[in-house]
Amino acid sequence: MIWYNDLNDGIVISTRIRLARNLDKTPFPAALGDKQRAEVTAKLHAAVLESNSALAVEFERYELDNIARNKKISMLEEHLISPQMVDGKGHSVLVNKSRNMSIMFMEEDHIRLQVIMGGYCVDEAFDMADKVDDVLEESLTYAFDERFGYLTACPTNAGTGLRASVMMHLPALEITGNITRVLQSVSGIGVAVRGLYGEGTNAEGCLYQISNQITTGLSEKEIIQKLKSVIERVSEMEKQARNILAKKHKAEIEDKLYRSYGILKYARSVTSAEAKAMLSDVMLGQNMGIIKCDGKMTPLELIIKTAPAVIMSDGKLSPEERDTARAELIRSNI
Amino acid sequence: MMDLFSELFDMFEGMDMFSPQTVVQKDNRVCPVCGHTWSDFLRSGKFGCGECYKTFRAGAEQVIKQTQSNSVHAGKIPSKSSADIKAKRRLEELRKQLKDAVNKEDYESAAKLHAEIKAMEGKGIK
Ligand SMILES: [Zn+2]
Repeated sequence: MIWYNDLNDGIVISTRIRLARNLDKTPFPAALGDKQRAEVTAKLHAAVLESNSALAVEFERYELDNIARNKKISMLEEHLISPQMVDGKGHSVLVNKSRNMSIMFMEEDHIRLQVIMGGYCVDEAFDMADKVDDVLEESLTYAFDERFGYLTACPTNAGTGLRASVMMHLPALEITGNITRVLQSVSGIGVAVRGLYGEGTNAEGCLYQISNQITTGLSEKEIIQKLKSVIERVSEMEKQARNILAKKHKAEIEDKLYRSYGILKYARSVTSAEAKAMLSDVMLGQNMGIIKCDGKMTPLELIIKTAPAVIMSDGKLSPEERDTARAELIRSNI
Repeated sequence: MMDLFSELFDMFEGMDMFSPQTVVQKDNRVCPVCGHTWSDFLRSGKFGCGECYKTFRAGAEQVIKQTQSNSVHAGKIPSKSSADIKAKRRLEELRKQLKDAVNKEDYESAAKLHAEIKAMEGKGIK
């Protein structure tokens, strides 16, 4: 199941684990020319697939240079590849059958092993990534230093190379005006908060990615434990805010959420910002038991499918046409 | 704004904070694997290869100290280099335990630990 179709408590939407790994004595992707990059890629593919029958059976290989852009966009929606891999050159990825693990080659690091799952399951996702990392390491020699740990292009990833992150939906904290304070209090303590597609993107539709910032000096288990305690507290605050909305502001919140639902059901033109804000309302309505959605797609899936990068994918639509296309997509699926 | 969470904010106090500073270092060395220099790192914020960390060790240490909590890796070790590193970590751990035992005047444990440390050192582990 694709993670965005997984129904969960509606606060922690998805969990992602990423391990950054590089080959010993080999320049990192950015320092490689096209030809060398192809050679290193071939070496990685051979090591991973040919020497390992279990992985060869389980994973499908995609050479992104030979894949249509819209197909890459849907891989981006599934978070199986990173934004820079959509238009970059020389990238490839192995995706497992359940489509919750991808091994990306030639992103910023030679290897980025990633697990993505719906809901809150940091330990489970980490164990899965860790096991495959062990298997890869049997046929590769990683760049590793006793003091610095796993060596990565960016020193902010060095050490464990681990980035654990969860996507949280925090609309009640936004509605009650508490979000800035909550997020400020968690950033600067080794935890980073970003938008839906990672670094440099904005939080849209009240969706936030919360991840560890510290990758060295702590063990993987300690990093995960620290992150989990932050997630659980933020999650608890969102729950409290939802309770207060339900108890003390029932009529107002029902009106607000149903208005958004009504507009999305009937509007003929919807901007990207409107879509996100209103779909976020519908998602909250669904999770608070106020709105019963019976459409073909979940509000979360619609947030992902109507993101500008996705709806613009054929590049031929004017901004007005895009808003019309977005409205229609939502109207017929919500 | 509804002020719901005043008491919950206390939990975030006392946790580590960091403020990045500029790293200044004069260095003319060139990485033997990727050809990058220290000024390439300062310009891009990225290293060219794993060997860069060893070539520019002092600078790398400084950068990691500033952006992370502690500069010494405490996580997973690749199994290929693990036997050696694990032995070193074990030795460090034994030395710590020995100190504790001596402090607690637990001389029986101290004698055992001492013997174990000597045995490891005898095998060339430092
Ligand atoms: Zn280098």
